[in-house]
Amino acid sequence: MKIHEKILTHYLSCTSPIDKEGYLYKKKERTSSYQRRWFVLKANLLFYQERPADRHLLGVIVLEGCAVQRCESEGGLFAFSMVFRGSGLKTYGLAAEDQLGQESWVKALLTASHCYLSLLVRDLGKQYEEAKRQAGPAESHQRTTVTGPGSMCLTQSMTYLNSCSSSFLMPGPERREGGSHSASNLLQAPPIPSKVINKRSPKHWPKRNAHVTPINGPAPPYGEWPQVDFDPLEDFTKLHDYYGEEVKQLRADWLMRRQEEEEHLEEDLIDLSEH
Amino acid sequence: MRFNEKELISLSRQPSERAAELGMRGPKKGDVVKRRLVKLVVNFLFYFRTDEEEPQGALLLEQCRVEREDSLAFSITFLDEAERKYLFECDSQEQCQEWIDSIIKASYEFMRKNLIFYRTEIHRLTGKDPLEQYGIEDETRFQVTSGLQLMPKDI
Repeated sequence: MKIHEKILTHYLSCTSPIDKEGYLYKKKERTSSYQRRWFVLKANLLFYQERPADRHLLGVIVLEGCAVQRCESEGGLFAFSMVFRGSGLKTYGLAAEDQLGQESWVKALLTASHCYLSLLVRDLGKQYEEAKRQAGPAESHQRTTVTGPGSMCLTQSMTYLNSCSSSFLMPGPERREGGSHSASNLLQAPPIPSKVINKRSPKHWPKRNAHVTPINGPAPPYGEWPQVDFDPLEDFTKLHDYYGEEVKQLRADWLMRRQEEEEHLEEDLIDLSEH
Repeated sequence: MRFNEKELISLSRQPSERAAELGMRGPKKGDVVKRRLVKLVVNFLFYFRTDEEEPQGALLLEQCRVEREDSLAFSITFLDEAERKYLFECDSQEQCQEWIDSIIKASYEFMRKNLIFYRTEIHRLTGKDPLEQYGIEDETRFQVTSGLQLMPKDI
């Protein structure tokens, strides 16, 4: 399969932010020896090369469908692994020189996937709608959320969740009524997706530019923030006065449900035990 | 450059909301339109020869421009180079527009910008940082400055 290297390397070198970089030790395949490599994490891609100044990239790891877990210390290094779910798929062995490095890399890699970001955006979108509603009518008029293909985001989310589901562990099918809040509980590491409704978009035909934001109509008064429309009626079945209270209640529910399903889970996404 | 091919192929097999047989033309002079099964999964556009299990290729949908070409076709340009412009022919105007919208919204950078917008707005409206409840408020990728076109060393 052709991966179009130049597109990847161009993305790496462009001005969008690097999410994390630094030296890590990478286990050579089929041996247990480590090689020191310079890693650069950007979006859901983990690039590596010999040294930071190198023009030549050794490789890239696409971070979808993998679980990240800490491992027992090896040779004074703080090891962790990226386990790709699926038969015949790889496990990458990595290690940091100190515990802080190990922890921050594990955390960065856990939150790197496209699936995770998709869930997070969807959840925050709903919180935003709720916050606007609570702020009153004056606020709602200030930001024009535009109709249009905005609801496509839910369609996209469904794609991501489907693509995540076979890789991640699903706590159970009855997530619908929870709406954004079950997602909000699930966004605590480890992230586990919930279900959404597919929604077709109304038809539009303006010319669009990918890296010129926003795409959904007029720009907001400041900055370059794009507008994304979420239909507030889509997932909200309950309305509460205090967002915090609802989250607390749902957390408790979720924890209870999770305990029931514990035996069905293969393993935690973060394995903090020594093994 | 090495990449986790098996894992990427496995990713290409995930069910996708946006998958269809389209006419696809490569960027090089002399390239002709060929029928391909085109499938959008996360921020990758996979394309398969019809009836093949393994994708022929994967295009990363970051830093690219998606444009309407005519009533039934759209293009994706990478690296801002005309010689990296891929053309896709759809069966209907509606399908064409849906593909354009889906591809734009699939970009990680697009999603990141949305996230930062929501984070800022929620904080402004409620006084609370919505990422704190997930314990990810310090992650570099979610920082407000990440939404701007800064060089990495500026962050």
